[in-house]
Amino acid sequence: MTRRLSARRVWALTGVLALAVGATVRWIQASDHRDSALLTANPTEDIADVYSFQSPQNPANIVLAMTVAGFIPPAEAATAAFDPDVLYQLKIDTNADAVEDLVIQGYVTGNAGNQVMHLVGPAKPERTGARSRLLNGQKVTSVRVSTGAEPIVASQLGLTAFAGVRDDPFFFDLVRFKDVIAGHETAFRNPGVDTFAGFNVLAIVVEFPKAMLGTSGTIGVWGTTSRPQ
Amino acid sequence: MSLRTRLRPAALGAFLVLVGGCSDSVTLPSSGIQANPSSGIQANLRNTDVVQVDRFGIPAIATVFIPAAQRDAYNFAAPAGDRANFRQFVLAGLNAFGTPNAGAIADALQPDIQPVNLAAFNGFLAGGRKLSDDVITAELGIIFGANAALNDDHVDANDKPFLPTFPYLAGPFLP
Repeated sequence: MTRRLSARRVWALTGVLALAVGATVRWIQASDHRDSALLTANPTEDIADVYSFQSPQNPANIVLAMTVAGFIPPAEAATAAFDPDVLYQLKIDTNADAVEDLVIQGYVTGNAGNQVMHLVGPAKPERTGARSRLLNGQKVTSVRVSTGAEPIVASQLGLTAFAGVRDDPFFFDLVRFKDVIAGHETAFRNPGVDTFAGFNVLAIVVEFPKAMLGTSGTIGVWGTTSRPQ
Repeated sequence: MSLRTRLRPAALGAFLVLVGGCSDSVTLPSSGIQANPSSGIQANLRNTDVVQVDRFGIPAIATVFIPAAQRDAYNFAAPAGDRANFRQFVLAGLNAFGTPNAGAIADALQPDIQPVNLAAFNGFLAGGRKLSDDVITAELGIIFGANAALNDDHVDANDKPFLPTFPYLAGPFLP
């Protein structure tokens, strides 16, 4: 049942995308294009969202989070796993040149249900830009990947870390949007209905002192996934 | 009916389905996720360059504004080149939506990096992105302005309450 639901949702998204772009050939191609072998075979390299906020527990700390592999149904939560061949990174620009000055790098070891996430940084990257290297010789914060209700958390080297399956924190009314773009409706409904309700994602969450960033002004944050060529 | 009017619902659809990286969901197989990644050896990533396959800064930028022919290039690119290489597509998209002040907004959306004011943390496109931030409505507001039919999806919060303690994201849905 969950599998059928998931498949239907994926179909709906694809169909809706095609409808939405009906007048624009290039976006129809985009819909096909996103069904690439790479992403279909490797959803865990597919970033869903990135968040950055002040710690609700300690105003001296910043929290960064990245979610990947959206639309994990409940039945697959326990076997959800990160990809050992993917380097997960949160990149931080501290001097407004759009180049990362610090990175937090994450990689996993182990198989589904028995993985450990290892986190390096925040540290100065060896390479910047679209090619990256896992930093060598750095101490790592390791945390067992959570697959159940209770989050497993580790704190080392000033970094508090979580990795594992969580409710998808993203929300919006996808169903109504479908009706709007299909021409069945001309406005959103109020209240709307969260189409993402009931689905999970894989999340990496880190919290650390803002002082580790070396600036108190404005930083820029983005997430990347990378794999060997 | 003007071209712009006809385009708007379509553009809205593309916008909504793609916001928040949702387009990524389009590509997921029905099984959702690999149950057993092929290897568990960290050496896979050691002493070798890895190349970027996806990136995410500001919700929806890549998926809404970047045309198909540029999409791979965008996902694989570092943001330092965004203004030179991709701002033109963002601007064209905003103009197609009929968004006022498209040039200034394009400047705010490129490079595709989430700005975080460490002294203020005061919300979308300035002070980071909280879990509870309604980025959909914020972006609909930017694009559709005072059009009350389309500037708010009226989903204002997550389906589960966020936690007051680390890791803040709500626990998973389990069987």
